[in-house]
Amino acid sequence: MNNMKYNIFSGFLLLLFSVCMNAQTQTGSMLIKNGTVLTVTNGTMENTDVLIVDGKIQDIGQNLRAPRGVEEIDATGMHVMPGIIDAHSHIGLETVNEATNPVTAEVYVGDALNPLDVSIYRALAGGVTASHAMHGSANAIGGQCETIKHRYGTYNPDDIRMDGAPRTVKFALGENPMRVHGEGRGILPATRMGIEQVIRRAFAEAKEYKAAKAQYEEARKNGDNTVMPPMYSRRMEALEGILDGEIIIHCHAYRADEIYMLMQVCKDFGVDYLCFHHANEGFKVAPDLAAFGAAASVFADWWSFKFEVYYSTAYNATILTQNGVLTSINSDSGELIRHLYHEAAKTQRYGGLTDDEALALITINPAKQLGIGDRVGSIEKGKEADITIFKGHPLSIYGIPMKTNVDGVIYFDRENDPNDMRLDVNPEEAMPAFFLDIQDYKHENCMHGTYQTFNTLFRG
Amino acid sequence: MIRNILSLICCLLFTQGLVAQVDKAQKGTYALTQATLVTVTNGIIENGTMVIRDGRITAMGSNVTIPEDATTINCSGHFIYPGFIDGGTTLGLVEIGSISLTQDANELGDFTPHMQALTAVNPNSVAIPVTRVNGVTTVIAQPTGGLFPGTAALINLVGYTPDQMYAGFKGIVMNFPSSGKRGWWDRRSEEDVKKEYDKNLKNLNKLWDQVKMFQTVTGTDNETYRPDIKAMVPVVEGDMALLIEVNKDSDIKAAIQWVQDRGIKKPIFTGVAEGWRVAKELAEAKIPVITGPVLSTPTRPSDRYDRPYANAGLMHKAGVKVAIRTNETENVRNLPFNAGFAAAYGMGVEEALKAITITPAEIFGLDSQIGSLEVGKVANLFVSTGDPFEMKTEIKYLFIAGYQVPIDNRHIQLYEEFLERSPGLKN
Amino acid sequence: MRKMILWVLTILVFSLAGHTQDIDDALKPVTQTYAFKNATIIPAPGEKMETATIVIKNGLIHAMGSDITIPAGARVIEADSMFVYAGFIDGLSNTGVPRPEREQQTGGRRGSRPDGVNPGNPPRQLAGVTPELHVRGQLKHDDKSVSDLRKLGFTAAHVVPRGRMLPGKGSVIILAGDSGEDMLVAEGISQFIQFSPASGVFPGTLIGVISKFHELYRQTEQLNAHMKAYQANPQGMPRPDRNDALEAMIPVVEGELPLFFEAPDVKSIYRVMRMQKELGFQLVITGAEEAWYVTDELKDSNTPIVLSLELPKKPKEKKGKDKEEEEEEEDKEMEMLQERASERMTAYESQAAVLAKAGITFGFSTMEASPKDIRTNLSRMIEHGLTTDQALAALTTTPAKMLGVDRTMGSLKKGKMGNLVVTDKAYFDEGSNVRFVMIDGHLFEYEAKKKATKKKADSDAEADSSVKIAGTWDYNMEGMGQSVEGTLEFSNTDGELSGTLSNSQMPGDAELVNMVLEGNTLTFDAPIDFGGQSITLEFEVVVEGDELEGSVTISQFGQLEIEAYRKGDPD
Repeated sequence: MNNMKYNIFSGFLLLLFSVCMNAQTQTGSMLIKNGTVLTVTNGTMENTDVLIVDGKIQDIGQNLRAPRGVEEIDATGMHVMPGIIDAHSHIGLETVNEATNPVTAEVYVGDALNPLDVSIYRALAGGVTASHAMHGSANAIGGQCETIKHRYGTYNPDDIRMDGAPRTVKFALGENPMRVHGEGRGILPATRMGIEQVIRRAFAEAKEYKAAKAQYEEARKNGDNTVMPPMYSRRMEALEGILDGEIIIHCHAYRADEIYMLMQVCKDFGVDYLCFHHANEGFKVAPDLAAFGAAASVFADWWSFKFEVYYSTAYNATILTQNGVLTSINSDSGELIRHLYHEAAKTQRYGGLTDDEALALITINPAKQLGIGDRVGSIEKGKEADITIFKGHPLSIYGIPMKTNVDGVIYFDRENDPNDMRLDVNPEEAMPAFFLDIQDYKHENCMHGTYQTFNTLFRG
Repeated sequence: MIRNILSLICCLLFTQGLVAQVDKAQKGTYALTQATLVTVTNGIIENGTMVIRDGRITAMGSNVTIPEDATTINCSGHFIYPGFIDGGTTLGLVEIGSISLTQDANELGDFTPHMQALTAVNPNSVAIPVTRVNGVTTVIAQPTGGLFPGTAALINLVGYTPDQMYAGFKGIVMNFPSSGKRGWWDRRSEEDVKKEYDKNLKNLNKLWDQVKMFQTVTGTDNETYRPDIKAMVPVVEGDMALLIEVNKDSDIKAAIQWVQDRGIKKPIFTGVAEGWRVAKELAEAKIPVITGPVLSTPTRPSDRYDRPYANAGLMHKAGVKVAIRTNETENVRNLPFNAGFAAAYGMGVEEALKAITITPAEIFGLDSQIGSLEVGKVANLFVSTGDPFEMKTEIKYLFIAGYQVPIDNRHIQLYEEFLERSPGLKN
Repeated sequence: MRKMILWVLTILVFSLAGHTQDIDDALKPVTQTYAFKNATIIPAPGEKMETATIVIKNGLIHAMGSDITIPAGARVIEADSMFVYAGFIDGLSNTGVPRPEREQQTGGRRGSRPDGVNPGNPPRQLAGVTPELHVRGQLKHDDKSVSDLRKLGFTAAHVVPRGRMLPGKGSVIILAGDSGEDMLVAEGISQFIQFSPASGVFPGTLIGVISKFHELYRQTEQLNAHMKAYQANPQGMPRPDRNDALEAMIPVVEGELPLFFEAPDVKSIYRVMRMQKELGFQLVITGAEEAWYVTDELKDSNTPIVLSLELPKKPKEKKGKDKEEEEEEEDKEMEMLQERASERMTAYESQAAVLAKAGITFGFSTMEASPKDIRTNLSRMIEHGLTTDQALAALTTTPAKMLGVDRTMGSLKKGKMGNLVVTDKAYFDEGSNVRFVMIDGHLFEYEAKKKATKKKADSDAEADSSVKIAGTWDYNMEGMGQSVEGTLEFSNTDGELSGTLSNSQMPGDAELVNMVLEGNTLTFDAPIDFGGQSITLEFEVVVEGDELEGSVTISQFGQLEIEAYRKGDPD
C-alpha cells in the first residue's frame, strides 16, 4: 500500500485506515465509563459503564473493570445511547433509480454501494451508525435495497454491508411513479388505480413463475428429464422472494388511500409484513396499520413540497406511536441524516412523546423495521456495539454527538476530527467545487437520478 | 389566602375558557403576569408582568399596575420572549412545492426588481399558522430567481391584507453572480462556470450604469415607463436596502468590492454560507449578514462536517453583525431550531437568540419597533414553558401586533381529529 | 440529444469525402527484406544485444545477432545508436473501430428512444447487449486511431467493438494492413463488458447493468444445459430457444473465454471481483486506474489486469496574482488540500510501480488515453518507480501472453512476426523519438521531432505578447473516424478577440464566442444553431507561429483533434 496518501490524516484516522485495510468487519473493544446510559429498551441508567469486547456489548453495569489492553473512555457527564439508525436514506450509493420500468424488482442498489461518499462520515458525526440505503421511488416496484453500517474509511463496497440483514425492496405509490411512467411515458400507471394493478400483475406473474418452477422440480423428481424450467428471470426471482416473505417490502407512500390499498393487495397475496415510508397521511389510517401489523417510517415535519403531502401533520409520528404502530423517523436526505436525534425530538414538541418513545423512533424501531432489532438499536448485553456518545442529552437542541462507534470501533470523534474527511480526492483539482445543497435537501432524494433519465428520455 | 386561591381558580377557568373559545386573533388589553421576561436587550426580569394595549407593550416589570379592563393571563412558571424574526423566507409566496401555479415567488425575467412580494403573499397560506405557533411572528417574504427578482417585504404573521401584515421594511433582492456550481447535477467545467460568472458580472454592471442613467433623466422629458429601473432608484439613492444573496467565499469578496465600488448605502448580505472563510473581510466592510439555513450541508466535500452549524458563530466572533434565517417556505417554524444549532456550535444561546430577534430588527432599521421586549414596542411576543430553542418546550400564548393569536393550525387540528380516529377500526 | 448531435455533426460538420491519406501508407515497399544494422537490440525485457543486426524477411524475423549475414536485396537501415524493441501490444482499446454512424431512427420526437420501444424491455441492441459481435467488418485499416497508436511504437492491439454493456468479442489485430480484415490476427479471444448503461432504456443505470448481466449469465447457463440435453436426446423435449446473445456467452459461462471487464475506479474493481466470485467466470480486469487499493486481493485471486495508460492531468500552475490575494488562513487550508491532491496524483502515477513491486503482472490499455499523452504518462509512471523493464514487459511480453499471441509476438525471436519499434535513444529516455515501426513486413518511417517542446515551455511567459492569432486559417478536424476541412477567421481588435468558423457543408458561418488567449493557448466556442437545437463545439488549441493544434470537444459526445495552418500573413 501507498502509505504516503495518509500522511495528512491524524493518528486517529491512520488507525482507522490501517484497521479497515485488511478486515471485512473490523471490531473493537473498549470500556465506556460512568456515563448516563440511555438503553432505550430498558430505561436510563445513571453512572453506568458499558463494556465492549470484540464489537459486542459484553456487560452493562457499575464499576466494571476493563480487561487488559482494553481502552477506557471516560463518559462522565455524557449520554451514551445506541447508534442511531436511519430506515430511509440514499447515502453511500452510486445509483438510486433505475427508472426505465414500473417494475424493477431485479435491480439491487447493493451492487452500487459507494463507501467513499463523505455523507457517510457526516452521518457518523450525527451519531448514525447504520442506514437503509434505498432504491428510489420512480417505480411502483423499485429495486432491492441494502442495510449498511457506517464503517467509513474503506474503499471496498463490501465492507459497509451489514451482513445478515434481511433483504428489502423498495415500492412506491402515488405521484412519483405516476409522473415518471404515466405522465412521462404514457404507460401504466398514470393513476393510483393503475399502481394497484401494476403491483397485482407483478405478484400474479411471480406466482405463475413459482408454479412453473415447482412443476419443473416435480417432473424432475419423477424422473422426467424432458421438462425445462421457466426462463430464469431475476425480476421474478425477486418477486417470489417478496411473496415468500424473504424480502421485506419498504413502500414509499403518502396518502392514506394508497397505504390502505397496498395492505389489501398484500393481504390478498399473503404478504403479512411491510413498512410504509414517509406515510405523511399514515396517521389517518393508524388503526388499520396497527391492525395489519404494518410499520411506518416517517419525516418529522416535512410537508407541502408536493400535493400528496399537503394534508400532513407534524404530529404524525405521535399519532402513529399512540395508536400502536411501529414507527421510526427517517431522513431521506444527506442533510437530515446528520441530525436525526433532533428530528426525533420534534415529536416532543408535536405531541409530547416521552424521551424513550422519541429515542425509540431512531434506534430500536427502525432496527425492527429493517429486521435487525435483535442485533442493534438498543444498549443490551450481546448486541453489536454501535454506540454514540453525546455531550448533553440527544433530545436537547444543545446535545452534541461526540463519539460514534460501529462494532466497537470509533469512526467519529469530535475531539479528533480533521477537517477534510474525503476518501475520494480529485488529483486535478485541489479545492473541491463549491455548491449549495439548499434546494436539494428540501425535496425527497428518492427521485435522485430521475431528472437525467427524464431528460434523456423526454427532453431530447 | 382562600380568596386568593379562589380568584386564581376563577382566573384560570376564565382564561382557559377564553382560550378554548378563541379561534380568531383577538385584539385587546392583556396583562401577562408572574412571567420570566426575556427582554433580549435589557436582561431578564423574574416574576414580571407585561401589559399589552393597542398593539404595543405599554408596561413591563416586576411592579406593574394591571389595567382594569385587561384580560389577565397568569404566566407563572412561564417565559415571555420577543417574537422571532426570520430574515429570509418564501412563506406565503409558495403553497405547494411541486405545483407551479401555487407558486408566486419567481417571476419570469432576470431583471424584475419591481415585483412586489407583498402583493402576492397569501395571508391565508396554511403554512402561516403552522409557522407562528413556534414563536415566529415576523418574516421576510422574498421573491426568488433572476439577478434582481423583486422587492422583499417584512410581514407579521397575522392579518388578512397586505397592509395589515406589512411590518415596515422593504428591500430589493439581488442574486449576486455566482461562481459556484448549482448543485450535484451541475456538470459545467470550472472554466465554463468562470466564463458565465464573468458574463453575469458584466451584465450586472451594465445594468447598474443604466439605473444611474435613469436617475438623471427622472423628471425630464426623456423619462420613459421603466418600472423595473425605477424600482432600483431608491437603492441607488441609499433610501432602500439591497439584500444581496451571495454564498461562495470568492463571490462574497467580489460582492464586498462591488458594494464598495458602487457605493451601495444599505447593503445586506444574505445566505453567506462560506462567510466563515471571509469573516474578517465581512467584519471590516461592516456589512450585516442574514445567514442560513444553519441546518444545511457543507458547501464543499472537504469542509468540516459542522461548518454550516458553526458559520453564524464564527462570523459573529469575527465581528460581523449576524442574523439567522431558514430560507424556508413551509418549515419556517424551524427558525428557533436553526438558532439553537448555531448556539450549540459556538455562537452561544444569548447571541443566537439575538440573531433571530433584535439583530434582524436592527438590520431592517426597526430596532425601535420590534425584536425585543421593551415598552413602546410592537407586541410581537410569545409565552413558553421554557427555552424556546428546546423541542420539549411548549408555546402557550402568542401575540402578534398586539393580537392574541390562537395556538392552532391545520397540523394541530389533524392531530386532534386523528389521535383517536372515529370511526376507529370497525364501522 | 446524442442522436441529434450525431446527425448535425454528420450533416453540418463532417465531410464524408476528403479523408486525408495516411502519409505512412504511401510508402510502397520495393523489397520484402529489411535489415536494421548495428543497433542495440532489446529482444525482451532485461535482455540486450549491442551493435547487433536484425533481419526481417517476408514479415518474419529472419535473423538477429552481432555477426549475421545480411541477405542480398535487403533494404539496409543504418541503425547505429538506435534501439530496436519488440513492437508494443495494446491490451485493450477500440483502435481501428470507428464510432458507428447511427442509423436514422424513426420518430424520436422525444429523444434517442425510437417510437414503439418499451423502455423497460427494449430490443437488446438498444440495451447494449450484443456479445455476439466481432470487430470484423467494423475495422478500418486507415482509421486515424491506427496510425496514431502506431507512431508511438504499438504494432498490435486487442480491440473490441464499441457499444454499451456487452459490445462484443475482442480480437487481436496488427496495426497495419491493406484492409480491415487484413489486420486480424486472432479473432474472438475475449468477451468485453463494461458498466455502460443504455440511454433511456433498461438497463439505464449501473444497477441495471449489473442485474442484466447476472440474468444473462444465468440464462446462458440454463440455455447451455438445455442445448446439451437436447443434443444428447431431443426426444420429447422442447427445442431450446435460439438466441444469439446467450449463445455467444456460452464460452464465457463454460470458462473458456475470458471476460475482459472494464473497471477503471476502485469501486468498479471491487464490484467486478465480487461478480466474478459469485458467477465464476474467467476474469481480466481492464482499464484500471485505481488498482493500487486492491493489490492484495489481485494477488490472492491471481487476477490478470490491464492498466489504463490514462493518468489525471497535471493541474496548470496558478498565476501568482491569484495567490497573493488569498488570506493566510485560506493559504493553510489550500496548502493542505493541495497536498492531498498531489498525494493522490502520486498514487495514480505510482499504480503501475506498486503493482509491479507486489509481483503482479499487467498489461496496458490505451482505451481512455489520448495518444498524445501516452508517452508522457509512461514517463510519469517510470518517474514514480516503474522500471523500464517492467514498463516494457507491460507493453510486450505480458500482453502477448495474456492474449495468447506470445508465440508470434511480444519479443524479438527468430520466426516471430516482424513487429518492432526502432528509436533513436532508448525508448523511455527523455527526448527519444520513434524512427521506424515495422509491422508484419510493413515499414513506417518517422522524422525525429524538432526540440521544440522544451523551448516552448520555457518561453511561455514571453509568448503572451508575441502570439498573434489574427488571420485566416485552414483547418482539418479529425476524430470519430471522420475528418473535415474548412476555415477559421480570427481577428483581434484592441485585445477583443472574435472570429468565425466555416466549412463547405455548413450553410453559413458560425460566430465564435468566449474567445480567450492565455499564453499561446487559445480557447473558444462555436455554437452551431440547428432549428433551435444548439450544439457547441469547444476548442482548445495551442498556437505556434502559423500552426495551431489542439482539441475540439462536443459535450456529451466526444473529442476531435484539430490542426490548422495560417494562410498568408497575420496583420
